[in-house]
Amino acid sequence: MWHGRGKTAIAGIGYSEITRRPQKPLGLLAVDACRAAIADAGLEPERIDGLATYPESPFAGAGNRDGEDVVSVAFILNHLGLASDVRWYAQIETGMIASPVIESVNALLAGACDYVLVWRALHRPAPRGSAGVGRGAPRAAGDAQFIAPYGAASIVQTHALAWQRYMYRYGATREALAALALNSRRNANLNPRAFFYSTPMTREDYFNARPIAEPLCLFDCDVPVDGCVALIITTAERARDLRNPPAYLAGYGQNTARRRTLLYYTLDDYMACGGSLARKLWSSAGLGPRDMDAAQLYDGFNPSTLYWLEAAGFCGAGEGADFVRDGRIALAGELPINTFGGSLSEGRMHGMGHIAEAVRQVTDRAERRQIAGASAVCAIDGSPMLRGSGIVVTRDP
Amino acid sequence: MSDDATKSHKPVPAPDDLSRPFWDAARAHRLAVQRCAACGYYNHPPRNFCDACLGRELAFTPLSGRGAIYTFTVMHQRDVAGFEADAPFINIVVELAEQPLLLMVANLPIGERDRVRVGAPVEVWFEERGDGVVVPQFRIV
Repeated sequence: MWHGRGKTAIAGIGYSEITRRPQKPLGLLAVDACRAAIADAGLEPERIDGLATYPESPFAGAGNRDGEDVVSVAFILNHLGLASDVRWYAQIETGMIASPVIESVNALLAGACDYVLVWRALHRPAPRGSAGVGRGAPRAAGDAQFIAPYGAASIVQTHALAWQRYMYRYGATREALAALALNSRRNANLNPRAFFYSTPMTREDYFNARPIAEPLCLFDCDVPVDGCVALIITTAERARDLRNPPAYLAGYGQNTARRRTLLYYTLDDYMACGGSLARKLWSSAGLGPRDMDAAQLYDGFNPSTLYWLEAAGFCGAGEGADFVRDGRIALAGELPINTFGGSLSEGRMHGMGHIAEAVRQVTDRAERRQIAGASAVCAIDGSPMLRGSGIVVTRDP
Repeated sequence: MSDDATKSHKPVPAPDDLSRPFWDAARAHRLAVQRCAACGYYNHPPRNFCDACLGRELAFTPLSGRGAIYTFTVMHQRDVAGFEADAPFINIVVELAEQPLLLMVANLPIGERDRVRVGAPVEVWFEERGDGVVVPQFRIV
């Protein structure tokens, strides 16, 4: 077991509005979320002495204007009115949002800072009909020269191709994805921050949805939104003096699997990368999948949740489609999944919604979605093959 | 594909020093990818070192052009550059006979949507897109 287990904690959560029609630039939404997280923890901005984010915009050809398309450490330093001399920061390029959380935990354990603000801001650029190759003359260079001339450069196609292979290998059907999407929507209907809070979905709605990249349909894709979610992380000792009960950080894991450079990431890459992350997650926390009272599993595209269930050992390879049936993953089930609605129904906050909900569940702050007495919950980020990082939070240190 | 070759807006491959032999071979209606002299691993996309052993001696080697459909998708979203008017269209990933997971991407005509399946055997053909652009494609055999 890891020596840092239970020595740091997440002590505050802040949300901006999550919207498809933003009334303000992304940077101001980020300021809203960061201020909300600091207030939620019961801190003053001057106490924040560490900053961490994963700022990447996930769209090919998206802009990189600070405060418009992305929100960097520099933007928050310039505009939030923090400590006059912030002691530590990290701006992470890989691993998605759990990775800056992990770096923050390491910095706190090293004594590099005392209170870290972590945020993830995401902007939905206007559709521009150029997935994978940018604007202007359509010349495809680099690895795209072997993909874009065939119209296969969009991320949704990558996921559709892997899911098709999964269906072939294991005999799964779209029923499995329907079960996941409907579960997420029911949970989102109990989450006032969710984009689909007021919009129920029936089984018919799912199966009648327009296809995007077969076998994936509209409701297998997360909701592109503008918004920001922020967290406050501090040492366990300091957290106990703050306003909320601490969500102790029990362990973490990152994907370090080896893989060949292929034109497409294959289903085997998803599983190998997910397994690599999960082994470290469970061994550092000294806990396993059966100890989890809920699992917040990344769902940028719906099949990823199924891969995570298998890769993290909640069920065996190829058993995910059976596992998600018959209410097992519902709030009242054996393993509630994406209890806040997931990215599919809360909105695309790139794993931050998953972490925030894990924190809420182990601190009795999950409103009508609360799982009574939840003591350990994992939040795992990323499509397993692309990147990925995850944490376990617990009620007790 | 059925496009009028002279009117294609599909992205055009931009050969570089590494990939030029691949596209030159395609223009001669041959399929060739890099193979490592040291370990025999086929590398695609091409690179300056072997992905399996870091060997520096890589030579473009002809392939049989035969393989099987590893996976496929029918794309409906009209946001793929140059393919806006083609949706829905089929993408297949072909696993070539020479090596497990030696993958290439191609299209099938939309008329093949009832016939496309994982594991279907395919062979290469070469699509002329005008202005000297030739892209390898695969068809079900």
